[in-house]
Amino acid sequence: MRKGTIQNRDQFLNHIAHRLGRERKQDVRIPEWEFQPQWQVYHDKSADELYTLFKKNSEEKGTYVVETTKEKLGETMESIMAAYGPGSMVATKDRRFEEYGLHDVLTKNNVHVWDKSLGDENIEAAKEASIGFLFSDVSLAESGTITQFNDSDIARSVSLLPVTYAAIVPKSSIVPRLTQATEKIQKQVEDGEDISSYINFISGPSNSADIEMNIVVGVHGPVKAAHIVVMDA
Amino acid sequence: MKISLFVTCLGELFYQNPAKDMVEVLERLGCEIDFPQGQICCGQPAFNSGYRKEAQKAAKQMITSFESSEYIVAPSGSCAGMFKEYPGLFREDPVWQEKAQKAADKTYEFTQFIVNVLKMEDVGAVFPAKATYHTSCHMMRLLKETDSPFKLLKNVKGLELLPLANSYDCCGFGGTFSIKMVPISEQMVDEKIRHVEDTGAEVLITADGGCLMNIKGRMDRKGKPIEVKHIAQILNSRV
Amino acid sequence: MAMKIGEKPFFDRVDDALQDDFMRESMARAQDGLRGKKIAATEADEEIGDWEDWRSAGEEIRRHTLENLDYYLELLTDNFARRGGHVFFAETAEEANEYIQQVAKEKNAKSVTKAKSMVTEEIGMNEALEEIGCQVYETDLAEYILQAEEGDRPSHIVVPSLHKNKSQIRDTLAEKAGYTGTDKPEEITSFARSQLRDVFMNADIGITGCNFGVAESGSVALVTNEGNANMVTSFPKTQITVMGMERLVPTWKELDVMVNLLSRSAVGQKITTYVTNLTPELEDDSADGSKEFHLVVVDGGRSKALGTEFQSALHCIRCAACVNVCPVYRHIGGHAYGSIYQGPIGAVLSPILGGYEEYGELPYASSLCAACTEACPVKIPLHELLIRHRENYVEQGYADKSEKLAMKAFGIGTSTPSLFKMATKGAPVFAKPFVKEDSISKGPGPMKLWTRIREFPAPGNENFRKWFMEHKKGGSRDA
Repeated sequence: MRKGTIQNRDQFLNHIAHRLGRERKQDVRIPEWEFQPQWQVYHDKSADELYTLFKKNSEEKGTYVVETTKEKLGETMESIMAAYGPGSMVATKDRRFEEYGLHDVLTKNNVHVWDKSLGDENIEAAKEASIGFLFSDVSLAESGTITQFNDSDIARSVSLLPVTYAAIVPKSSIVPRLTQATEKIQKQVEDGEDISSYINFISGPSNSADIEMNIVVGVHGPVKAAHIVVMDA
Repeated sequence: MKISLFVTCLGELFYQNPAKDMVEVLERLGCEIDFPQGQICCGQPAFNSGYRKEAQKAAKQMITSFESSEYIVAPSGSCAGMFKEYPGLFREDPVWQEKAQKAADKTYEFTQFIVNVLKMEDVGAVFPAKATYHTSCHMMRLLKETDSPFKLLKNVKGLELLPLANSYDCCGFGGTFSIKMVPISEQMVDEKIRHVEDTGAEVLITADGGCLMNIKGRMDRKGKPIEVKHIAQILNSRV
Repeated sequence: MAMKIGEKPFFDRVDDALQDDFMRESMARAQDGLRGKKIAATEADEEIGDWEDWRSAGEEIRRHTLENLDYYLELLTDNFARRGGHVFFAETAEEANEYIQQVAKEKNAKSVTKAKSMVTEEIGMNEALEEIGCQVYETDLAEYILQAEEGDRPSHIVVPSLHKNKSQIRDTLAEKAGYTGTDKPEEITSFARSQLRDVFMNADIGITGCNFGVAESGSVALVTNEGNANMVTSFPKTQITVMGMERLVPTWKELDVMVNLLSRSAVGQKITTYVTNLTPELEDDSADGSKEFHLVVVDGGRSKALGTEFQSALHCIRCAACVNVCPVYRHIGGHAYGSIYQGPIGAVLSPILGGYEEYGELPYASSLCAACTEACPVKIPLHELLIRHRENYVEQGYADKSEKLAMKAFGIGTSTPSLFKMATKGAPVFAKPFVKEDSISKGPGPMKLWTRIREFPAPGNENFRKWFMEHKKGGSRDA
């Protein structure tokens, strides 16, 4: 690991402590918050209900949602390729593609699977691609959001550069909202694990309302999005 | 029920008829009213302009004048709201802060008092007209009173109350704002008047002397035919 | 350019704004449009429970964080550096810019891409980089448009180009960037996409602001919609994040609450399209992702609010909810404030950062209607802070003399019943020469300001106290 550096810190923080009228704090305990409404949201929803909400909220953001099974996932992916093609495709290097038996589908359809040893070639492939395939690690019912814990294999470019991102969403990955996802990350932090350098919560195609507050879909990120929900739970 | 009237400086100087209407309505509802002679002004003009010492002077005068009152009732959401600011105004003076808190706790705006303390929603008023209601910011946001005027107006016979677009936007009064920032205040009151005109109402009702003075003053200047009335005038109407 | 917008005095800026019909229409339309969306996503959204509880949660998190700011900044930067990141604490805008220039020089950077950031605008970073020969590309659509116009400044902290309409935008891009399309937002957006694609890929440095630092993991969270922040943070080998020193939360649990408050309050979204969380890269072997990550923590005058009545102004999460409900902003727009921070929060923050000499009028540009306080997702008592500024302004001797005298008289008049009695008796007599019918059209003295645009009511002829006494004795009224 590279070595980090910190400049000017003591002087800066001493000044803050001085302004706050006290010595520097060495240890602060986070209080038990009096208000924690986040835990109440969808807390009593079943897996089916959460899926229904995930679907509704994905569609609200303009994301196409398709339901499939583990067995038919390959077929469904090919139907997505037909619908959002033609053109080249990329996928993250994710062991789940193997686990779900998708190796053949990727090979047959010439999907470029991220290979870090190829360096920039990957980025070029993603840039030219019409579809990027990836798995959602945690999926948020409240907002139709998928999550990527990106690293050098599960590359961030796959959900960013192609015209369409197509996320495979195991139904079992759907949780009520961001609260459960951040709780999971927080647990990693508390356990002393190194968290992913790029944790990305993505909710549909990129968009902007900067011109006269008109919503335009498709700015610098994907123009379209598809969530392929695998009914595994 | 014994109550003390805080008529407000605007009420005393300019809006004596609404003040009288308020007295008559409250008496009809069974209140015994007194008028503490020491009262002058809640101090808001100084408070809002950053003149804290001067505001404290005014506030002390009011707190003392109403010290023995059970309830303080005012025909203005903004002035009643100012009483709620008193404890903060004396944040560095625990003795006065306590007195201020007592004054704040027993202060009500006129309609708020009728609905929440007297528990009355129909005061037997009759006022056949098409009207709309202007919500005062201070009454709504400082006093947190939004429903009472509507509950009372709903029971006024013959009154057709029309919804006002952008009712949540300030009319541009804001105390000294109205003379410090004239061009901005002008745009705000003009927009308010446009929305009032769009309702087709013949009468604009409000529960705040400041807003009334501002909107009416501008309407009169522009020769608008819409009448502006204080809610006490409506509630005391029997025709 | 930094924080200040324009050189004209306040009232001239207001006059300019009031002449600009398109701008004013667009502000009103934006406010009206956003209002419904925001309400639907906040107090009216039953699925998230009581919005007031969320606000209270936000307030307690922000309060705790600011009260322990030194601790959390130490934690954040320890963790950031532990992962290999480089931290620079900058007391002033100049220090921040010098550091950023130095990084750019070391990297021999020619091209810099930027995601939207208010703090970089505040410190005037673009100019500093241009000074040393870097080309800086704004990539947020609104900032891209403003940059094309050359010298145009943000008029809103969330939608900086709110004051421009689509045909103005088309004309600007046609003139400055060779755009040949129509004024359709889709077409303009697609043009920006194509123009910037390669720029993103070829930039030497990517620069972002910071919505929230997460102290316990040394991460930076970016809350965005367009995907440009992702482009900026994915392809350049060097990344710089500039953060206002107060923009952090203790852990991911608090980040959750703040992201919800920000997304819903700013644009009425349940969550923005991207919530991107960056922590310095552990390994060097990724094809995308920066190799070097710098975090510049800026004070820039913020510490002046610490330990004072204005500390809660630092709780701000820059959602612009207060701006979007402000009736003054509605009519004068952003530029009239003369600061990149406009609306109620701008009127509170700008004098803290830039002083009363420059921004002393802003706290008066409010009718104290408190719509801002009601809208703020972290419960900053904005209208109260405006009053506190006014108090300071008066105490520090900035207020004009005639006002001081008038207020002194007010203090005496409102604490001396005998004087007030005389006034109520004397008012009708005094006012008589000015009264026509029932009102005064041309008032004397300070009343002149009122009667410039309105009638002033004529003092009633009757003495209310006298009436009340007689009434109690059983008298009737005649009016």
